[in-house]
Amino acid sequence: MSKLLTPELLRYLEQFQLLAARRAKSSSKGERRSRARGQSVEFADHRSYVPGDDFRYLDWNLFGRLDRLFLKLYEEERELPVRIFLDASESMTFGEPRKFDFARQVAAAIGYVALCGFDRVSVIPFPNAEARIGGKGEISNIQHPTSNAQQSAIEGALRSVRGKKSSMQFFANLNALAGGGGADLNEALRRGALEARHTGLAIVLSDFLDPAGYEAGLTALVGRGFQVNCVQILAPEELAPSTFGDLRLVDSESGGLQEVTFGRYRMKAYQQTVQNFVQRLREYCTRRGMNFFMAPSNMDLQDLLLKQLRKAEVWG
Amino acid sequence: MSFLAPLAFAFAASIPVVIVFYLLKRKRVVKLVSSTLLWQKFLADTQASAPFQKLRKNWLLYLQLLLLALAVLALTRPYFATEAKPAQLRVVILDGSASMQATDESPARFEKARAEALKWVDSLEPTDQMIVLLAGANTEVKQSATSEKAALRRVLQSAAPADSPTRLVPALKMAESLVRDRRSAEIHLFSDGAISELSEFELKALPLIFHKVGQRADNLGITALDVRANPEDATQRAIYANVVNVASNTLSTDLELYFQGLGGESRQLLETRPLTVPGQQTAPQVFRVSQAKDGVFTVRLTGKDDLAADNEAAIVSLLPKPVNVLLVTRGNRLLEKALRAVANVNLAVANDLTDAGAGFDFVVLDGVTPTDWPSGNVLAFRVVNPNWMESVSSVDGPVIVDWKSTHPLLRYAGFDNVQIVQSLTPARGTPPWAISILEAPQAPLILAGELGRQRLVWVGFDPLESNWPLRVSFPIFIANAVDWLNPASAKSAQLLVKAGDPFRLALAEPVKSAEVKLPDGKSTTLNFEGANELVFGDTAKQGVYHLRAGTNEVTFCANLLDANESDIRPRDELKFGEYTRVEATTVQRTNMELWRTLAAIGLVVLLFEWWWYHRRTV
Repeated sequence: MSKLLTPELLRYLEQFQLLAARRAKSSSKGERRSRARGQSVEFADHRSYVPGDDFRYLDWNLFGRLDRLFLKLYEEERELPVRIFLDASESMTFGEPRKFDFARQVAAAIGYVALCGFDRVSVIPFPNAEARIGGKGEISNIQHPTSNAQQSAIEGALRSVRGKKSSMQFFANLNALAGGGGADLNEALRRGALEARHTGLAIVLSDFLDPAGYEAGLTALVGRGFQVNCVQILAPEELAPSTFGDLRLVDSESGGLQEVTFGRYRMKAYQQTVQNFVQRLREYCTRRGMNFFMAPSNMDLQDLLLKQLRKAEVWG
Repeated sequence: MSFLAPLAFAFAASIPVVIVFYLLKRKRVVKLVSSTLLWQKFLADTQASAPFQKLRKNWLLYLQLLLLALAVLALTRPYFATEAKPAQLRVVILDGSASMQATDESPARFEKARAEALKWVDSLEPTDQMIVLLAGANTEVKQSATSEKAALRRVLQSAAPADSPTRLVPALKMAESLVRDRRSAEIHLFSDGAISELSEFELKALPLIFHKVGQRADNLGITALDVRANPEDATQRAIYANVVNVASNTLSTDLELYFQGLGGESRQLLETRPLTVPGQQTAPQVFRVSQAKDGVFTVRLTGKDDLAADNEAAIVSLLPKPVNVLLVTRGNRLLEKALRAVANVNLAVANDLTDAGAGFDFVVLDGVTPTDWPSGNVLAFRVVNPNWMESVSSVDGPVIVDWKSTHPLLRYAGFDNVQIVQSLTPARGTPPWAISILEAPQAPLILAGELGRQRLVWVGFDPLESNWPLRVSFPIFIANAVDWLNPASAKSAQLLVKAGDPFRLALAEPVKSAEVKLPDGKSTTLNFEGANELVFGDTAKQGVYHLRAGTNEVTFCANLLDANESDIRPRDELKFGEYTRVEATTVQRTNMELWRTLAAIGLVVLLFEWWWYHRRTV
């Protein structure tokens, strides 16, 4: 089975189904209700018969009562495209446990639920392999010493996954993903929003620690019509640092230096800063109808998946 | 504000050093973090990468500069010249008497007074001068006028209290003469106020400031000691001791009596008597012991009290010897009988005196002008000697109005109902050598005193021309006179001196040197230029002294025996003369120099800086 999720957790997840607030707009058939009329068992409406219609859909009962021909219309069931934006930047490789590992677990769980529901899953890691080559960040994931070409192939495979059968391959690919390099959250989200042919569910798994901010990207997703869920993953070390004294801090992504003098007495001020940051993001999301979850990377995964996401009616 | 040590401003050169330290960059620990985004608020004060950096606002720097400035300022010893006062003279009188040894102040009153005086030395301004007097039995000028604080401190540190009573009047007179011409002068008296005879001193406008020391009076003291033949049993000696309790509560102790023979044998305990003295009462005590040889009686209070100096007193007791008395009279049976009644008297009677009374201890002249005036002690009734007084006049029926019952001659002798027909009196009042012990309104009737080394008792009237011989006071007076005029008793009285008073010894032949063994066992040698009288003044410590000069060997005792000194109750005011009172000052002189304050503030700043530094890093 997958290293990402335990079989037990998978069994739980199988019971869930992603809840979409809006009708699916995908063109592919699936199990989601859509505005399109087509073939399914869900009755939608009647319309008058016009010559050339398929007799099989005539409502003979009505004809018997009214002596007029009506055609029964059914809802077409379509798939729900689920796009998972996975922050694979250098900053996600920090923390104990690593934030990136936690993000992959969440991605795997959401992806599995979607696959079980015959929805299309796209995992979009950013920065992608090409961006890393161009950028100055190198792949720092020593657990998976895969080449950039392989990474590109994996990323390609994750672009579009469908069907429960594919879940094992999906997990394997997620597992093989490597983190590293500098990311531009806004750019990644905007591009993801533009690329999507059909809107659906968007999950953003990131620490949102981007100097350029996150507002533009999230706005782009919402504007495109996505139903957005943000999961902010922070390392315990980031929530409560344990190094004190006169420090020269090196930013893992930008390489920028910053000198601070940090004492225990300033811990409260620091934690307040973090809380403010989280709160600002939370308010931003709530105001735009996005779901927001804050998850320390050492958090119990089941708590997030089985309780918080369910409570927020991401799935049910 | 002025500076005592302006050279210390050179230390200000260290201020740039501190600033240079702040220009240098702090070495930091490099740490890789996921993102510096969350740390924006915690930017350090410096962000340059060169070894030197721009000076930034840093509270630590300010604190250290402040600390340094305070330290430098303290080193320069600034002070405030409060007013443009003329140079002051301060005369410090330290009470160095026995009562200042009281331990109710810690460690002793004298130490407290010394510490107070040292504070005044500290507060001395550069132009001011100070004189230090130590007032014990004698006034000692410890330091003449000087502005040098080190010398003043040294003198004060070396001063020590004696076992002697205070004689403040000479000290005050000396201080008065010192400050007489000074416009700005103060006399500071550091004392507990246990001072006698101040009522005889008129303070006038002396600028006296009284600094009181002492807190309580928890003291039992021996204030009197005497040894006599036991009147009830001639073979015994009676030792009279007076114990006073100056505390307000009852105190209990043991009174011990010791005897030590003059031969150099060890001290024996003769008697121990438990004693309970109610508050502010005296307890006269009499010991009756038999004495086989000459020796020293010592009484000692064993209890522990605030003042140890008055817990022990010693007296030399010599065995009585027969007194040889010559009565020169034309027949006075009453007088003769009274003289014979006195114990231990060998009386000879004669009509005239031709050989100056050689071989007799003293001579009684009863209305007879002798051919040869006696060279020894004399008891004279109605005798005119121009050496004694220039002229006499006669008074008829003088009325006795007063007599000095405290004089040893009139002990137990009153003059109630004594009438006198006629009496001679000195025409020009009491002669300087004598004091009047019996007085009529016109003139003195009985004089007593010492003329040269001759003791004289002069009675102006014939007892037979009065009813005095019929009164009980007459034989008592005669007995007292025998005692007082006996050279041996006079000598034994000389053997008891007050601590601090000089011991005098008349010598038959001149000596060159004398050796004195002090109470603490040490010996000192005195050198003389062949004097007839030996004077030993170093009796500040009480106890038994042994003096050896040529063939003379004398033991004498120095004792405090002073009720005023034993009364160690601290006084809040001193009474001078009849009307003047000086209250104890409450002014505590503090140091006018500021460096201590500055150093203290500096310390506070240092502590604050330390706290501040640790607060930001730990």
